[in-house]
This record gives sequence, structure tokens and C-alpha cells, in this order.
Amino acid sequence: MTEIIADRNTETPDYDDRFDAVVVGAGLAGSAAALTMADGGLDVIMIERGRYPGAKNVFGGVLYTPTIRKLADLDDAPLERYIAERRYGMLTDHDETAISISPGEWHEPPHNDSYTVFRGEFDEWFAEQAVDAGATLLTETTVTGLVRENGRIIGVKTDRPDGTLRAPYVVLAEGGNSLVSERAELKETEQRGNVAVAVKEVVEFPDDDNAIQDRFRLTGDAGAAYHYFGEGAVGDAFGGGFVYTNGETVSVGLAYRISDAVSGQPNPEGTLNAFKTHPAVAPLFRGGRTVEYAAKTIPEGGADSVPELTHDGAVIVGDAAGLVLNNGVHLEGTNMAVESGFHAGKSIVDAAEQGRTDADALSAYAENLEASFVMRNLRRYEWLMEAVENDREFVFRELPQALADAGTEYFRIDREPKESHAENAKERIMEAVGGYTGAAKLALRYRKIVT
Amino acid sequence: MTHNPTIVVGIKQVPDDDEVRIDPDTGRLDRSSAPAVLNSPDRNALEAALGVRDDVGGQVIAMTMGPPPAADVLKEAVAMGCDDGVLISDIAFGGSDTWPTSLTLARTAEYLDADIVVCGEETTDSSTGQVPPGIAAHRGWAQLTYVEELEPLPEANQLAARRDVEGGYERVVADLPVVVAVAFGENEPRPAGLHRKIYAENEFEPVTVDANDLDIDEETVGLEASPTNVGGMETIEGVDRERTVVDDVDELAEAIRSTEVFA
Ligand SMILES: Cc1cc2nc3c(=O)[nH]c(=O)nc-3n(C[C@H](O)[C@H](O)[C@H](O)COP(=O)(O)OP(=O)(O)OC[C@H]3O[C@@H](n4cnc5c(N)ncnc54)[C@H](O)[C@@H]3O)c2cc1C
Repeated sequence: MTEIIADRNTETPDYDDRFDAVVVGAGLAGSAAALTMADGGLDVIMIERGRYPGAKNVFGGVLYTPTIRKLADLDDAPLERYIAERRYGMLTDHDETAISISPGEWHEPPHNDSYTVFRGEFDEWFAEQAVDAGATLLTETTVTGLVRENGRIIGVKTDRPDGTLRAPYVVLAEGGNSLVSERAELKETEQRGNVAVAVKEVVEFPDDDNAIQDRFRLTGDAGAAYHYFGEGAVGDAFGGGFVYTNGETVSVGLAYRISDAVSGQPNPEGTLNAFKTHPAVAPLFRGGRTVEYAAKTIPEGGADSVPELTHDGAVIVGDAAGLVLNNGVHLEGTNMAVESGFHAGKSIVDAAEQGRTDADALSAYAENLEASFVMRNLRRYEWLMEAVENDREFVFRELPQALADAGTEYFRIDREPKESHAENAKERIMEAVGGYTGAAKLALRYRKIVT
Repeated sequence: MTHNPTIVVGIKQVPDDDEVRIDPDTGRLDRSSAPAVLNSPDRNALEAALGVRDDVGGQVIAMTMGPPPAADVLKEAVAMGCDDGVLISDIAFGGSDTWPTSLTLARTAEYLDADIVVCGEETTDSSTGQVPPGIAAHRGWAQLTYVEELEPLPEANQLAARRDVEGGYERVVADLPVVVAVAFGENEPRPAGLHRKIYAENEFEPVTVDANDLDIDEETVGLEASPTNVGGMETIEGVDRERTVVDDVDELAEAIRSTEVFA
């Protein structure tokens, strides 16, 4: 052998306890935690099972950026469009009743911190920001379990040979399908009623370069987020549909309870096709070609389902901790993932300064999260899911039908006076809500949405 | 063979086959957006080389010829278990076809005192399969192609190979030094160990050599020295099907008889 080779040392070092923290999953929550810790001077390694961060991430999606903006410079982030219009449509079989909101303010930076993105690109960029801050990224490696010593979590096991890595802190940022946390009994497996199945397609328009601007009435980087519920969106399941504009494509999808997927709407692809061909939705996709199809689960158990967040040597963040607000009006998980990763990262930096790894030393994470919008929003809407579940027939079937009928009556053109049209319209509503007493009860039950 | 042979593996960075998009409008292959990855037949070469080291010890050194970013495939090879990696990089090599490429790799193998050179069967981006025999030819070494399995014979200073041949296999024994081309998919490439992968991707730096180190006359490599001359490209048009419908067997026989299929 030549000298140039013989003189070199390429032995494998032992990386046990060479890193201060291991982050499981380089999604939004994981990269936020890694970036925060790296900024705080810690040596961090992110372990990601995908070929690159985001490779396996399925998402609607509108990314909410109030916290990311504080951690990284969004100017060179791969954003598709800012949200300039939100539309909420109630669908029966063949009617739509919708409201649309497009405040002028949304056209101005920071655009209400709402952007469509492709997670494959965005997550890769965000993980790069953590790497630029000094974190190490290891891809194509799946964490299979945690290593414990005297009850304390002291590292992770991976699917690779020689696959154990010890580190003082482990951040579990593995997303909604949180097998590692569940196997380690840090959280319970979610009940079917608390998990939504989400399917999504990305559609392109090969023969119409202006399809998106024209059909969604947009200019420049402006984009639209349409939400739908009612029978025409997801049949008799509990959930809703969405349509979001990307740069050159449109994402269309559904999210509904897994328990309904098992019993009532067993075929997500078929349900999505029915939604896409609804008369109010189909024109948006005319001549479109599906370029991507994906399915995933979304935790939606609310505040009740959030597990213990801190453990001796470990914390749970993002979807793995059930931090998603999904109540029909709001579908927000990205902002919560980043916020939780940020607070978790900070608490680890502080604990490391004291040389402590016990759960108590990390409790600032749970406390700060409790005080932040994350837990406050989850608590605020906790009751809503339950109320809607109880009023399901009303919310998803009777109300959309009554509103459509009332609209039809109210605007009817015939030779009757408007007075009788208004009367008919009111009657249809009253019938659906159960008279004045029913309306009062509903108003009371749902007042917290607006108050 | 010596009990501690130096095994040099030639590997290459290619556009990722899985990500090469077919443009739905033109039907053309779009390679430009595909990320660069390790040529997948080279994984079988690395596995075969590491297998020999498992049996008789020695060193496995990966070599690749290309611009500096090609060092990524060396990191991957080191992650899999190679002892070292050599990047062969020089502007003079630009545009080389299989002739100067195999010349350069042959020189590098000699420079590294290789006892065994292992390559993949072919690369997914050019598919000539000419480089491994080319290395052997340039040096006058023995060669073993389409190899399914290697069996080191250290006492005899030889290497035996099981070769894929039509209808079965043959066992061939060659003296060292020898060049081996491993048949694609014949072994199960080992996954990288966790700590080795962390090291390879974050700390390992390959050795870099240029034409001067290898004592290669710049006139003998690169585009100018490449005898390949692409004569042109032709797109083959499909034949239109006639789609004749016949009512019975006799009519079918008659229809066929009127063609050139049988007289
Ligand atoms: C269809 C759909 C639409 C949505 N729409 C919206 C929306 O419009 N707006 C919004 O704010 N939110 C939306 N959400 C929710 C949002 O996607 C999530 O809340 C957010 O992605 C959570 O981020 P995370 O980092 O916690 O988890 P993830 O983004 O799921 O990231 C987890 C990462 O960990 C990796 N990983 C998992 N297990 C392992 C393991 N064992 N070892 C190594 N790596 C592992 C994964 O590969 C992944 O990269 C939507 C979700 C879905 C499914």
C-alpha cells in the first residue's frame, strides 16, 4: 500500500455522548429544536428516516410562520404563495353556501404569516438552517427505540448496525405516527376517534398557464385557501376538505376521522374523487392532471390527548405530542410544531448549563408551552370537537342544506313578493335549528367560537 | 494472495434513476433535475470487496474520478465500511470516454498498489460496461467479469470467481493483480453502521490525486484523447397496428397468409 494511504487514520470514532442532544425526526418541530439548541451552543444531531428532510412529509398545506420568522431568515425560504383569500364553503350534495375573506392587510408583508409551501422543499431548507447553525443531520436512518438506564433516557437505537447512540438529551419530534414514543410508553396510542386520516393530491394544469390566476382570481404571489365542510366534502364523515394554491399547482385534499374511514367512508381516494367532482369544486380542476397523491394521519385529540411532555432525558414536541388544532375552521399544526420545538430547545439549553437532565430541569418547556398560544388554543377549542361530534348530523348535513335552501328561497325570482321569500327562508333555518329555543341553545353552545 | 490485499473499488456518481423525470409533454428524459447518487451496481462491487476483506483482511479503498462534489460517493463508500477513499480530480480528465477513464483508473490502482480492483458491472448513466475490462487491458492484468461471488485463495495468491454464464455458472481462478466486474444485484450490499456513517459524512476527507500525482501525460486523457465519436441519434417511430377484426379462423389464416409471416 502507498504511504499516502498508510499514514491516514480513518478509524471509526465512538460518538456516544459526543453530541449533547439527539433529535428524532427532522420535520418542522425537530429542526426548530435543533436550530434553537445549536444557537444555544449545543452539539446536536438530527436523525431522519427519509432520504432528505421532508421527503416523506405529506401536508396540505398552509405553513404558519410567526415562530419560524424569529428563528431563521424567511427571505430565501422556498415559499409558494401567501394567503390572500380564505373561503369557507358549506356543501350539500349539490349546493354551496360560502363566505370569503380577503383583507387588504394580507397582501402586505408579513402576509398574516400564512404561506403555501411544499414540505419536501421547505423542510429540507429549514433543516439546512439548523445545519448552518452547527447541527449535524443524518438521513436514511430510522430510530427504532430509546435506551434507558435507571429509568432515565440516555440515547436512541436505530435500524443501522452498531446502531445505538448515547446522548444526554433526546428530543422526540417524530410526527403523528409516533412509534418510538409509544413503544417507550411515553404516550398512549391515540384512539381512532382522535385521529384523522388525510389524503391529498397535487394537481397541475398542463394546457392552461393561467389556470391558477384565473380560477382563483389572483395576481402575483397571492394565493387562496379554501376550506369546505358538509356532506358534499366528506360524505357523512366527521371532517372537511381543502383546496390550496401553490405556485404552479393546486393541492386538494380531505381530512376526516379514522373511525369514519373504517366504517362510513372506507375509501379515502373515492371520497376525494367525489369531493373533486362536486359541482362547486370541479370547475377549479377542469383539465387538471394529478401529479402526486399521498395519505397520512393527523392527531386531533386536542389538549386532552397531549401526553407528559418532559421526561428524564427526553422531551416530546410537535405532532408527536398531539399539538395540532384541527376543528373545521382552523387546521394548524406547523406553527405549533415550531413553537414547541423552540421552547423544548431552549429548556434543554438551560438545563445543560446546569448540567441536569432530569424532567424537573426541563419543566420550563411544558410551562412555556402552556403559556403560549399552542396550549391556549388547544384548550380553547377542546369543547368544540365534542360539541360538533354531538351535533354532527346538524352541522354537516342539516345546516348546510338549510342554508342552501334559505339562500334559494331568499333570492328567488318569481311573481311572489319578497316578503314571502324571506318568510320561507327564515322558516327553513328555523326548522333546521329547532325554533327559537333551539337557536338559543346552539348560540349558547357555540358562543365561544366568537367570544 | 498476500494475506492483507489492497482492494481498490472503482465507483461513480450518476444522476438518480428514480428521480429522472420523463417530461409528460415531450416524453424526453429530464436528467438535469435529478440529484447525483452512487451508481447502484457499485454497491454490489463495494459489498464484494468488503466481503473479501471479511475473509482475508486487508484494506478496501474506494476511488472515483470526477469533480470535487463526487467526493460524496466516497463518503458513502467509507460509511459502508471502506477504509479510505481517493478522489481523482483534474481538469485534464474532463470529457474522457471509457478509454482515458479506464487508463486513469488503472494508473490510480497501480499508484495505490492494488492487488484486486473491483468495479460494478456498468454505470446507469452510460451502460457500456467497458471500464473494468479497460482497466485490466491497460495494465495487462487478469479480469473476471459478470462475477456473482468471490472466493479469495490467499495461499495460492489467487482469486476465484463464480461467473454468471448462459444456462448456469462457471468457476474461474485468476492470478493477482486482477480486475473484477461484479454482476448487478448478485449480493446484498451491507447497510452503513451508525457511527461509521456519522464519521464518513461529517469528518472523513478523501485523498485527492491529480494527473501529476498519477504521472499521467495530459495529452493521453480528456475529450481530445477519447476515441468515441457519436455518429448521431435516431428516434425510432413505432409501427402502426392495423387492428383488423376477423370473424373466423379461416379468415384469420387467410389474412396472415397474405402477409410475409408465412408463405
Ligand atoms: C394532509 C395534511 C394537511 C395539513 N394541513 C396543514 C395546514 O394547512 N396547516 C398547518 O399548519 N398544518 C397542517 N397539517 C399539520 C402539519 O402537517 C403538522 O402539524 C406538522 O407537520 C407537524 O410537524 P412535526 O415536525 O411535528 O412532524 P412531521 O412534519 O410529521 O415530521 C416528523 C419527521 O420525523 C421523521 N420521523 C418519523 N419517525 C421517525 C423515526 N422513527 N426515525 C427517524 N425519523 C423519523 C419523519 O420522516 C418526518 O420528517 C396538515 C397535516 C396533513 C397530514
